[in-house]
Amino acid sequence: MKLEVKNLRKSFAGTEVLHGVSFEVETGKALGLLGRNGAGKTTTMRILMEVFRADSGEITLDGKVFKPAHEKIGYLPEERGLYPKRTVIDQMVYLAKLRGFSTLHAKNNAKKWLKRLEVEEYETRKLETLSKGNQQKIQLAATLVCDPDMIILDEPFSGLDPVNSQILKDVVTELIDAHKLVVFSSHQMSYVEQFCDSIAIIDKGEVVLQGDLREIKKEYGQNRWILSAENYTLQDLSDKLVQSGKYPVRVDGRTKDYLTLKIEEAVTKNELLARLIHSDIHIEQFGTYEPSLNDIFVEKVGDEA
Amino acid sequence: MRKFLIVLQYELKEYVRNRSFVIITLLLALVGGLVLFAPRVIDMSGFLGRSSWQEEDTAAVEEGEEGMMLLYDSEGLIDREMLKRVFPNITWIEADSTDAIKDKINREEAQAGFHVISYTEFEYYVFNSSLYSDESAYFEAVLSASMRQAYFEANNLNGDELEALFDTPITVNEQILGKDSTDNYWYSYVLVIVVFMLIVFYGQMIAVSVTNEKSNRAIEILVTTTTPNSLLFGKVIAGAVAGLCQVGVVLGAVLISYQINRELWGGMLDMLLNIPSDVLITFALFGIGGYLFYAFLYGAMGALVSKTEDISKSSSGLMIMIMVVYFITLMQLGNVDGVAMKVLSFLPISSYSAMFVRIAMGTVAMWEIMVSFVILVASIFAAGFMGARIYRMGTLRYGNPIRLTTALKELRKSK
Repeated sequence: MKLEVKNLRKSFAGTEVLHGVSFEVETGKALGLLGRNGAGKTTTMRILMEVFRADSGEITLDGKVFKPAHEKIGYLPEERGLYPKRTVIDQMVYLAKLRGFSTLHAKNNAKKWLKRLEVEEYETRKLETLSKGNQQKIQLAATLVCDPDMIILDEPFSGLDPVNSQILKDVVTELIDAHKLVVFSSHQMSYVEQFCDSIAIIDKGEVVLQGDLREIKKEYGQNRWILSAENYTLQDLSDKLVQSGKYPVRVDGRTKDYLTLKIEEAVTKNELLARLIHSDIHIEQFGTYEPSLNDIFVEKVGDEA
Repeated sequence: MRKFLIVLQYELKEYVRNRSFVIITLLLALVGGLVLFAPRVIDMSGFLGRSSWQEEDTAAVEEGEEGMMLLYDSEGLIDREMLKRVFPNITWIEADSTDAIKDKINREEAQAGFHVISYTEFEYYVFNSSLYSDESAYFEAVLSASMRQAYFEANNLNGDELEALFDTPITVNEQILGKDSTDNYWYSYVLVIVVFMLIVFYGQMIAVSVTNEKSNRAIEILVTTTTPNSLLFGKVIAGAVAGLCQVGVVLGAVLISYQINRELWGGMLDMLLNIPSDVLITFALFGIGGYLFYAFLYGAMGALVSKTEDISKSSSGLMIMIMVVYFITLMQLGNVDGVAMKVLSFLPISSYSAMFVRIAMGTVAMWEIMVSFVILVASIFAAGFMGARIYRMGTLRYGNPIRLTTALKELRKSK
């Protein structure tokens, strides 16, 4: 199963908020939609689920027009909401039946997911009596109760503590392993990095970067190295590299542990290392730069996530 | 259809599980039923003894109120003895002028006063005129009888014989070939009020149930899981069925209890509770049709707002329309075959009461009933589909209520 989103455009009250968003994702893989608040992630997901209609653009599944009503989809919207005054099991069975399950099948599946998310003891409780974190888990269980082939999660980690986040991470990993197609958005880059095969960074309604995460990281790390010294602070080391003029590099960035350097002219790693060894710099760390998703995001979007 | 039935079942289950809904239904049915069993355990002969309004009136005259009245009759035209017989508990004081009458009444020393000018004219003085006071009418009758008596005596006629001749009882055998409006009036009146209450009370409940889905944010999950038509139709019909069940249980308990105890009540409540089956069938068809029509409109009004406290704002126009129809229908009950009722009986906003009343009390052709019912059914579906589109359009539009005109414009644009 391959989902392709092509050139989506959407305006609200005359203002275009999506300017041709495109991406694709396949079964057994997860796509992370990244972007700052208001970038257009939720609007894109709502168009996918036909909550809104796009002004133009196309969404296809295996080359055919995508009709969410005809597919088994688990959707966790950004605006969480179920029936607060009704029992957990009742509303889960209701949603599963609306997705085509028989009462018995719906009940068994609801119990299965409540157990998997470790909230089975709340089965007969009214939703409003549960903590926010547990309500969030019930919401996720309701999303998965119909055993969907495609899972669309909008900010699934929001409101979860570290323990519950770990449970959710495990569940998402299991879904990917079970060859489900997963699309999710998040601000938390570490989660995206852990189980997303591909990403699409949306900024101001446009996809500014997309593709295979490993390829993107490789590309962003190309011709970039890291360096720190025992006898220089990072600021002094940076000044030395720039002012001496002996090193064909530009200081590209700085973390609290090292500088990132970008090669200015053709020079190999060994040549640079040789030059450093023959200087008064006592090397503490030197190696190939492997950017984090956060670094890539900041570079593309221009601010901290 | 399957999804509609799932929504209907889920929503109905919630009504059945709602303890206050069930308790109120049973309590109302129990109270209604028990009141009608009252003659079996309580002596109600004082209350049930009256068999007609005529008897009540006579009793009022015979017993009368105790008090004092003034009479200024300088020519002695009125028969004093007859006056005492008709007003047995009244002490009559002779006055010598109208000023004396006014003075005593103003000081509240007498309850009323009469100045007899001639056999055909008198003045009646009273401090505050009561809506139900019949003193003047009885006085007029005595004066008229006094005039006749004087004429008989002047012409040497046998007054008793002539009075008996005038008062010979006539037997009337009324054969109503159409409908007896007098009989049907009261239950038509009651049933119009019942539908009005059904629409206003349960319509509001349905609007709240729709708005709740927006306020608790469940709407996004629902519209991505099933169609808005299934959701709105399921929700509205569940509310309508629950409302009808509640009213049905209460009315059923009252009607059955009355049938069991009808003899003990002496048929006193027949005009309200002994409703013929054809009237009930008409009521079921048009009453329930109108109720469903308004239920869908209330559902649509609920979709225009995202907070339950805003529902009254969005549904105020609907409420005014229902009230206008209600008052016009009640005012026209005495003229059910008039133009106003004929027009109202074809409009879906009013046929639920106007056509029902015309059938119960007036003359109406079968084709008129059929046309009106077809218009009503088509309007129910139109209201349902339009409501579902408004419901879908209102998805994720939180904040200020959406105006109905804005919603309709957007629906037209999105076609």
